[in-house]
Amino acid sequence: MPTYKGMVQPIKAPDDVLRRLHLEPTPDDQKVEKALKYLDEMRKKFRSFTLAMETCVKCGLCAENCHTYLGTRDPNNIPTNRAELMRKIYRRYFTLEGRWFGKLVGAEDLNLDVIEQWYSYFYQCSECRRCAYTCPFGIDTCEVTMAARQILYWLGIVPKMHGEIGLAIEKVGNHTGLPKPGIVDTLEFLSEEIMDEFGVEVNFPVDKEGADILYVPSSADFLLNAYTLMGAGMFFTYIGANWTISSHMTEAGNFGLLFDQRFVLRHLFMRLVDAAQKLNVKKIVWGECGHGWRAWKMYLPTMTDIPIRWPIVHIHDEIAHYIRTNQLKLDPTKNDHPVTLHDPCNFVRCCSPGGPNGLIENLRTVIKASCADFREMTPNRDKNFCCGGGSGILFDDPEMYQRRIQLSSKKAEQVRATGVGKDGNGILCAPCSICKAQLYPMVEEHELGVEVKGLVDLLGRALVWK
Amino acid sequence: MPTINVNGADIEVDEDGFIVDPDSWNEDVAKYFAAQEGIKELNDDHWKMINYLRDYYKQFQIAPMIRKLCKETGMSLKYVYELFPSGPAKGACKLAGLPKPTGCV
Repeated sequence: MPTYKGMVQPIKAPDDVLRRLHLEPTPDDQKVEKALKYLDEMRKKFRSFTLAMETCVKCGLCAENCHTYLGTRDPNNIPTNRAELMRKIYRRYFTLEGRWFGKLVGAEDLNLDVIEQWYSYFYQCSECRRCAYTCPFGIDTCEVTMAARQILYWLGIVPKMHGEIGLAIEKVGNHTGLPKPGIVDTLEFLSEEIMDEFGVEVNFPVDKEGADILYVPSSADFLLNAYTLMGAGMFFTYIGANWTISSHMTEAGNFGLLFDQRFVLRHLFMRLVDAAQKLNVKKIVWGECGHGWRAWKMYLPTMTDIPIRWPIVHIHDEIAHYIRTNQLKLDPTKNDHPVTLHDPCNFVRCCSPGGPNGLIENLRTVIKASCADFREMTPNRDKNFCCGGGSGILFDDPEMYQRRIQLSSKKAEQVRATGVGKDGNGILCAPCSICKAQLYPMVEEHELGVEVKGLVDLLGRALVWK
Repeated sequence: MPTINVNGADIEVDEDGFIVDPDSWNEDVAKYFAAQEGIKELNDDHWKMINYLRDYYKQFQIAPMIRKLCKETGMSLKYVYELFPSGPAKGACKLAGLPKPTGCV
């Protein structure tokens, strides 16, 4: 059972998974020493992390702004308290007062129990940054979670799910382990589906050299989110684009961001550069994925360490541009059910998405042009709450699954308040693969009367063909 | 690595209970997992789904898109959940001896 002294924990990756990720698991008797070494490295490298360690005055404003705390009412899930699990160790080993006065100043020795506590609580944080948004000092607790997960990973402690995704990334270049034959077969199937349902001929070119646009879809779209892929194919066909999908890099996400911001994160970046170079594309268009967009937009330039010569744009920004310039004919009555929008945290709080043509407003440009009855949920835009699955909290063992229901309770309350599911025919638009994977089962658990869809799904359905 | 014992043979499974080597699968393994899942008896539709998944995996080294799986077996998603209460990925794939799907699924 994945619990440790009463704390819920995701199932851990076994040693053989770690070794295949080129990592030697740390024996228990060396974990404390190594963890302190890695913590020392983090504090020296990341000022944002040190700021979080040094600055908090415990005003508590973050508590009611965190969906994790609101859903679980576990005091360790209050962002400042979660950070305190790291701060007390930082204080003990890296501050004068902590070294001299220890517990009197809230410092604590590191031991295996604390490391297990880190594993439990830093894998309940969604890295959604809502607490950072409300903190008067600008402390970004997400940075603490990221540092903690990195330290844990180097110690050999990582969820099995995340570790196996790391393996799939290395093996085939996407999270779901899709090899080229599976990619091609699925896309051919979707071409037939589009013809059957919409009467339009749409082809999905794979590995087409000399294409103008490289489209990078989320690999989860190939298993679960059929209409997101179909919508993208229909959009590119509609605008007459010369486009392609790469079988070498078929992943809009990047789980490296969520557990290993070095080796694993960089691996997909290098695959993207390879693919774009080999196919000789002019532009890269990014698919529906929240954390992935953050990774590519914010980390790619520094991680690849070479000037990136391709513009990388998000598909929602691209579609909004075509709508604003009247190049798409859309019939919103084709989506006539009541629709509300869940803003993915990584879109609205992580990627400079403001302004009239920024991603936040672009989501609305697309949804309003594609749907007849759109209703905002409250709060929305950069103040929206996480779906509860953020940062890959998609574990399905019974204990963690129960926790996911709690983590999504704030979202459920928001959706219910819009009234879109009142008659059982509402749509919850969640344009991100993690949000979708979390919300598909959660809208059933909370009985919200809505179906979960992506934004490109709705756009594809609303297109009026000549 | 944990193992399960099916008719006297030890078969390796991962921490989620999925078999590690798809070639170590046999019909008794499916029956063993069915009992775990609370499925009383595997009927023709169960086998149709299991065989479809195995064939697809053999050909493409991945589980099919849910939409394709429903269309090609002629079963609705609701019916798949009736057959396999844990759903197509965590139920049907497990019985069919496929690896656990990873990623945002």
